[in-house]
Amino acid sequence: MNPLPWLVVLPLMTALVIFLLPTRWRAPGSLLAAVFLSLISIYTLVEVIRLGILVHALAGYAAPLGIRLRADGFTAVMAVLTALVTMFCAVQAAAYLRGKPEEEGFWPLLWFMWAALNSIWLSTDLFNLYVGVELLGLTAVGLVALSGNAQSLAAAMRYLLAALLGSLSYLIGVALIYGELGSLALSDLALHGIGLPTVLIALVMMTFGLVLKTALFPLHGWLPPAHGGALTPVSALLSALVIKASLYILMRLWMTLDVAVLPVYLAWILGLMGSGAVLWGGWMALRQNRLKHLVAYSTVAQVGYLFLFFPLVTGTAATAAVLAWDATMLMLISHALAKAGMFLAAGNLVFAIGSPRIADLAGVCRFRPFSLLSFGVAGVSLAGLPPSGGFNAKWLLLQSTLASGQWVWLPVLFIGGLLSAAYVIKVLGHSFIEGPLRDHFRTPPLTQEFSAFILASASLVLGFVSQVPLTWLRIGGPFAGGG
Amino acid sequence: MIRLLAALFACLTVSVVLVVAIINRSLPEGNLPAQVAERLPETGVSHAVTAVLLDFRSYDTLLEVAVLLVAVVVAMALREAQPDGPDRMGLANPLLRAVVSWLLPLMLLVAAYLLWAGSSMPGGAFQAGAVLAAAGVLLRLAGVGFNWMEHPMRLRVVLAAGLAVFVAVGTGCLIAGRAFLDYPPKFAGSLILFIECAVTLSIALALVSLLQLAPPQEDGPLLPERRRRFRK
Repeated sequence: MNPLPWLVVLPLMTALVIFLLPTRWRAPGSLLAAVFLSLISIYTLVEVIRLGILVHALAGYAAPLGIRLRADGFTAVMAVLTALVTMFCAVQAAAYLRGKPEEEGFWPLLWFMWAALNSIWLSTDLFNLYVGVELLGLTAVGLVALSGNAQSLAAAMRYLLAALLGSLSYLIGVALIYGELGSLALSDLALHGIGLPTVLIALVMMTFGLVLKTALFPLHGWLPPAHGGALTPVSALLSALVIKASLYILMRLWMTLDVAVLPVYLAWILGLMGSGAVLWGGWMALRQNRLKHLVAYSTVAQVGYLFLFFPLVTGTAATAAVLAWDATMLMLISHALAKAGMFLAAGNLVFAIGSPRIADLAGVCRFRPFSLLSFGVAGVSLAGLPPSGGFNAKWLLLQSTLASGQWVWLPVLFIGGLLSAAYVIKVLGHSFIEGPLRDHFRTPPLTQEFSAFILASASLVLGFVSQVPLTWLRIGGPFAGGG
Repeated sequence: MIRLLAALFACLTVSVVLVVAIINRSLPEGNLPAQVAERLPETGVSHAVTAVLLDFRSYDTLLEVAVLLVAVVVAMALREAQPDGPDRMGLANPLLRAVVSWLLPLMLLVAAYLLWAGSSMPGGAFQAGAVLAAAGVLLRLAGVGFNWMEHPMRLRVVLAAGLAVFVAVGTGCLIAGRAFLDYPPKFAGSLILFIECAVTLSIALALVSLLQLAPPQEDGPLLPERRRRFRK
């Protein structure tokens, strides 16, 4: 049985059922359904490993007329990653939101978000991707606004406007491409390339829209208040998965077009913006005095690394391009795991100390060592220290930089690593201060602490088994034969 | 001032670029309209737009219906967080009431006609839903209470009905061994109409509840009983 339609149908059905259930049944019902959907995601990955690319022609019509779902290694790994991160965020949220007024809205929105993410991973159609992005964006904005206080409403409004501007820009690009090529299927775009000026302009419009939604420097202004101010499980989901969706579309678009004819300067602009993100995001993270805002700025910085992909694959030697692909994939996965773990750990710490400020962490190491351990483990991967997925990713990125001769990125990698180590150590340092001030901390529920720890340590384990997901990711990908 | 100038500059640049893009446009090579016309008989409807929306690209429409439901879910969650105030939406205007009572049957008729006509002429679920919603808004403005909407379960069931029917029909096709949303040719026309009926109701109710859920004006005394109205 083809699992692809179920990856979208099951979360939509669950969203409807959860919407109709009374509030007290929403969390247990969601956890039960999450197990099922995770199993289907894993089954998809197994089938992709066994059979190669899977497709499903929706409504029974072939590609240009109908819409086709397609899963290669990249899709399947993203689906499993989504399942893993969402599952543990849901476990954390079940304890974290119990009895809070936000509980009612959170669960249906979580399921719509999962459906939107899976629809994006599976889509091969430019307009269908737009619809997926709209669904995802509106859900994410709603999740940010859930807390309902003035700050989070302002952040959600800003996020909504940025997301709408991004969608609009992407949609203009899609309309131009449809006018030019008469088709919306990604595969038809590949056949035509970008010889025509209109297609180039469309590509620029779409890239701008997607980059804005990924919060790449200097278009990142909406991210820190939205991610830093949201409920903890929402911050984790947003930083780990939602911003990756627009990046995923951009990478798909880029890799579908013939890399050889793409404008190199556009790739370099993206690379330079990424470098700016690494440096500025790291610097701003270091300067924050609220814990969750520090983690949010760290997302701004980490997104930057992912954009070094574009200059490293455009017009470079095949070896460098393959290394850059591997590095970016590994970075994407390990950042999703580490950042979700770090946000959950930060939320637990904030809960324990009862204050969002980093300065109030003093003494927490003695009383809540487990929460702090999760934060530190996630920090190891984010700062790229061995042994972790983040370290391997940066190592591959370094090698790709050397192989392509683009030395420019080297200082970015080094300074970025130092900055991320610095902001992680800043948090740890504050928590080790032996203050005479207090010895009373609240205890977060054990499931909350464990979900943070499992996600954070998964990014560490990834450092030992990096080769395995990388092999899966190459299935049906642009570098299927390489490496 | 600088922000305004920058925004103006950005708007002008984008406009110029788009004009360049459209001037340089070559004629499309694809022949999708021809393909749609060719396979129209398979869809069970005779209007190309409805065929695209509910058969060829029905998956897009399904996700759009989900977007509308998400908007209402978010509005419900936000309504909870807002302070409650008096309901000032109804206007105590006898003329308005009289006009609405004349208009209402006509609007219901137009909505039903648009829904029915959708399969062969311009029309369909979204248009019919919008007309139905307009009727609801007029009723609301005329001060007619929507007491039946106060029951949270009833409200939710109708809101979810459109997406639920859409997904259920699609899944039914899937379980029957066809592709998702690949209607059996024999029932394609009636299944599409069935989906459209449910979607019309949900769209209309979603639009009316967005108005209903708007936060009340700030002046006036608080009415605590309005709080938690949508909560179970």
